[in-house]
Amino acid sequence: MLETVTLERRQGAGAVRAALTYAGALALGLALSLAVLVAAGVPTGALFNELVVQVFLSPAGLARTVTMATPMMLGALAAALCLRLKFWNIGIEGQLWLGAICATAVALYDIGGPLRLPLMMVAAMAGGALWILPSALLKMWLGVSEVIVTLLMSNIAFLLLQHLLFGPFRDPTFNFPTSPVFGEAEKLARFGWGDVNGGLVLALVAVALAALALGRLRYGYAARFVGDNPKAALALGFPAGRVLLLSILAGGAMAGLAGGVIVAGTEYRLTQAVGLNMTFNGIVIAALARNAPGWIPLVALFIAGLYVAGASLKVFYGVSEGIVLIAQGIILLVLVTAQFVTTYRVRLARGVVA
Amino acid sequence: MTKPVQTVAPALPGAPSALRIFGASKRFGDHLVLDGVDFDLAAGEVHALLGENGAGKSTLMNILSGIYTADAGRIEIEGAAVSIAGPSAAVALGIGMVHQHFKLVQPFTGRENLHLAAAGLPLVPRRAVVEEQIAAVVKRSALDVNLDVPVARLSVAEQQRIEILKALLLGARILVLDEPTAVLTDAEADRLLALVRDLAAQGHAIIFITHKLREVLAAGDRVSVLRRGRMVLASHAVEDVTRDDLSRAMIGDQETTQRRRSGSTPGPVLLEVTGLGVRDGGAAYVSDAGLSLRAGEIHGLAGVGGNGQRELAEAILGLRAATGQVALEGRDLTGLSVAARRRLGLRYVPADRSADALAPNVSLAENLAATLVRTGALGRRMVWPSRVRQHAAAMVQSYGIAGATGGGRRPVRLLSGGNAQKVVLARELDRDARLIIAHSPTRGLDVAACAYVHERLLEAVARGAGVLLISEDLEEVLALSDRISVISRGRIATTPDGRPDRAQIGELMLGHA
Repeated sequence: MLETVTLERRQGAGAVRAALTYAGALALGLALSLAVLVAAGVPTGALFNELVVQVFLSPAGLARTVTMATPMMLGALAAALCLRLKFWNIGIEGQLWLGAICATAVALYDIGGPLRLPLMMVAAMAGGALWILPSALLKMWLGVSEVIVTLLMSNIAFLLLQHLLFGPFRDPTFNFPTSPVFGEAEKLARFGWGDVNGGLVLALVAVALAALALGRLRYGYAARFVGDNPKAALALGFPAGRVLLLSILAGGAMAGLAGGVIVAGTEYRLTQAVGLNMTFNGIVIAALARNAPGWIPLVALFIAGLYVAGASLKVFYGVSEGIVLIAQGIILLVLVTAQFVTTYRVRLARGVVA
Repeated sequence: MTKPVQTVAPALPGAPSALRIFGASKRFGDHLVLDGVDFDLAAGEVHALLGENGAGKSTLMNILSGIYTADAGRIEIEGAAVSIAGPSAAVALGIGMVHQHFKLVQPFTGRENLHLAAAGLPLVPRRAVVEEQIAAVVKRSALDVNLDVPVARLSVAEQQRIEILKALLLGARILVLDEPTAVLTDAEADRLLALVRDLAAQGHAIIFITHKLREVLAAGDRVSVLRRGRMVLASHAVEDVTRDDLSRAMIGDQETTQRRRSGSTPGPVLLEVTGLGVRDGGAAYVSDAGLSLRAGEIHGLAGVGGNGQRELAEAILGLRAATGQVALEGRDLTGLSVAARRRLGLRYVPADRSADALAPNVSLAENLAATLVRTGALGRRMVWPSRVRQHAAAMVQSYGIAGATGGGRRPVRLLSGGNAQKVVLARELDRDARLIIAHSPTRGLDVAACAYVHERLLEAVARGAGVLLISEDLEEVLALSDRISVISRGRIATTPDGRPDRAQIGELMLGHA
């Protein structure tokens, strides 16, 4: 007789129970991170101001957070649309860079006349979709792991980005590897509230369309079947391959659009720093939102808030980057743990193992 | 119902007993898998063990190899009572299993696999010592196989020889071969049989599990047959049994409860399969299979599992590339997609519901509506959740699906087996169904759920549909079918009148060879 530990899926987790678990976890995570920050020398009295007021409550602070969250929403969509079909997109940055490159190319070569800005966004989406296409085809045709291919495609994209910034896209009047600044017709409109720009509208529209497609269209229905059990979907006559390819390309396009939104909305030029960490952030946000587009804006705001708070802690209190990362890591860890315990229960069983 | 246990033939005269099992019983939940089974095995003997799927052979062997513990019964090895606490205890007692699915590390060479196995012995022996032992075992057993290439590059037969070497290296005196020829070609099987005889001549005691009569006759000294957890033919000398005795013992000789509607007038031909072949990576799963089925008819396809049933069903549905021809109501289906075939009225109830029919984490309502959503019957582009729920509610009611609380919002994986099967039936047995391929539709269901499934299939037939009933459960096939064929090693055969009796089915299942 062996003693075994098994994981059991909970039979439909109650909403109240889930909400309480998340709230408790968040409180615990915040308490632990606060303790770390205080130990690192941040005055206790400044914590609330730095972590809440300056991030979410003051107009300027909230604008910073929303601006940062905008491309994150698109990055998270890029992860979620693929993950729903069990395709791990680890190359969001690569697709984002391609999107940024394509949008920049449209701007620098003055393509499209009056439709310049829409064309930049379309080009950004096309670039992202194109960059994820090889990973999708290799996976579907030869069973090559998408984790490896999307990751390595990012490296290629970064080299391409560097090549362009040191070569054809380089601003000749400037000593750094950046592209020239875009013209006015190539910038997304701002609303007079910090750096918040038209990219936010695009991101929210994308989120809404994704939620609609997944929740109400036949495509979304098929995607649920194909994602959960491709064999059953095939036996039922669903075009599993087409659904898979479409979802992956949509994911790549969202990452590309994130790149377009960054260069046309906040940076106004292509740089090497565009979209850094977007793969990690996109996957984290998608996971916390359980791949449901409707939750992505909220989670993206929260994660962006952690970054904004971290940045000001670094500047004003000399807290090292490492401490900020630890605090962010603690919060993410407790949230993921809460997600786990609302989905599964751990069970000790005595009995024979088959 | 069961035949009285026949007299036990003595083991080889003078041979010492290697293994005795007395009254082994094992229960899983409500299901008595082994019911007081006796078994004996002499040194130097090849003892063939026959039985249908689910007869209890694997359970008995798992008890012997320490994977399960028997609920009751006693085991003696070489005359001494033993208790087998786990797999390592079984190895220590000299019991070696060669499983149907090999347990070798594919990128390692045969030699490395043998070293790895030896490392599991108490006090890891030195490499040189293991090398010596390997050389000795190879020499003694005359097993020739290249030990210095990665196992992945060897043929199945060669891998099997490494498995046998492994068991011998670990000191096995009792060798259990679980359907060792199922994966071999005939020539390879002959070679294996010769090897088995050699090993027995060296004093090993061998339990040889098989479905094939030819092998029993060619290599066995004695034969036993398990049926539904009981030893119905115990330790008979192979010379004294006929093929008829064995097939009768395997599948029983009671009269069929009732043959269904023998006088019904069959409708026009619905399904015509000719020369169907399915190959995958060099292995032929279905060869030159022919089958025809009329409207209003259930055609039963009996056979031991793994003889090409799944591949045949998937080829007819269009899930698998196949050669030959499948025609539905006179229309050639070659080149049509699954969706197109379904549009013509083809339906599929696969053997493994959760793997091939349902999306377990998707809600019950959405699983029920899947085909309607695919065809666009619930909206060309949009799918309205209210219509999905309405449809689900109607199905839940008419099929009596229990556990569908909350408008079918719960994931379908939470349903019991019987209710999950009802979901599949509700979806597949719609009004437009013309031909239903039902593969083991009652597997794992309780008596009431079985009866329900049968009733629904008969209703579909009464509406004029046809059912291809692929089943390993002979009682089910006999009770429901208008015509019966048998599939064996991917070939379909039947008697000239299309109604083989129990004994004829048994012979067809054993492959005649």
